[in-house]
Amino acid sequence: MTAALAVIIGTLGVAIVTVVPEHLLKGVVGALLLLFGLRWLRKAILRFAGIVAIHDEELIYLRELAELRAQGLRRNEFDWVGFLVAFKAVLLEGTEVAFIVIAFGAAGGVALTSAVVGAIVAGILVIGLGVALQKPLTMVPENSLKFGVGAMLCSFGVFWFAEALGMTWPGDALSIPLIVVAFVGVSWLAVRILKTVLPEGAQIEARNV
Amino acid sequence: MFKSIWSTLVGLLIEDGQLAIGALVALAVTWLLAAAGGDQTQQVVGWALLAMVLVLVVANLYRAGLVARARVSSARR
Repeated sequence: MTAALAVIIGTLGVAIVTVVPEHLLKGVVGALLLLFGLRWLRKAILRFAGIVAIHDEELIYLRELAELRAQGLRRNEFDWVGFLVAFKAVLLEGTEVAFIVIAFGAAGGVALTSAVVGAIVAGILVIGLGVALQKPLTMVPENSLKFGVGAMLCSFGVFWFAEALGMTWPGDALSIPLIVVAFVGVSWLAVRILKTVLPEGAQIEARNV
Repeated sequence: MFKSIWSTLVGLLIEDGQLAIGALVALAVTWLLAAAGGDQTQQVVGWALLAMVLVLVVANLYRAGLVARARVSSARR
């Protein structure tokens, strides 16, 4: 799994960063980050507002466990179904992370190395927690993380796309926290609006229709 | 591997299609502004893009809220 993602970053990432002109790269990367970020932000806002159900990791874990046990596998056999389910899930989510690593690595210099190191550290942390706890990470505030990451991706997207078009932001990278604050503020407003749009007590119903 | 990359990219346009299209339009408008305007315009395109995207987020989610309300209303009937 890690090898598959390393191949994506190693081939696509390095090739893109070394061949494509910087302003074009910033433009494309900025656009992609904005699209990825908006997707995450939208989902997180809908979950905070109660329109989309927040992930119940415990329930998902129990459901997967029941499905895999229904296959009738014994503990001493190599579990091919479990292997394939885990591989597919991690590859799908990991591809999104690989894109983000390539995008941040596109800034040039040691940016790709820094982005790869950051992703590896995060990966080791999550794998270590999984191995140590041996159960789903139900205490991790997944939606808050998604919300924060979404706002940051959108902010970097706007920042780089405008830079690619020749804009010089006031204070250069110091503008990024301002843009993040704008995204967080407007997202909070969107959550408030959504809560007023839905009638009282309708959140749970909205999830099921 | 490439199937996975493809499904991620398609997911952007299919799952959140309207938002993705809106964002692409905002990016295109920003690019046009920068290309057609002078140096002064070029220095404000980022703020224009930010404003367009923020309005887009609120509008898209407001619409999602209205759709959810309509579904709840019809389910209650």
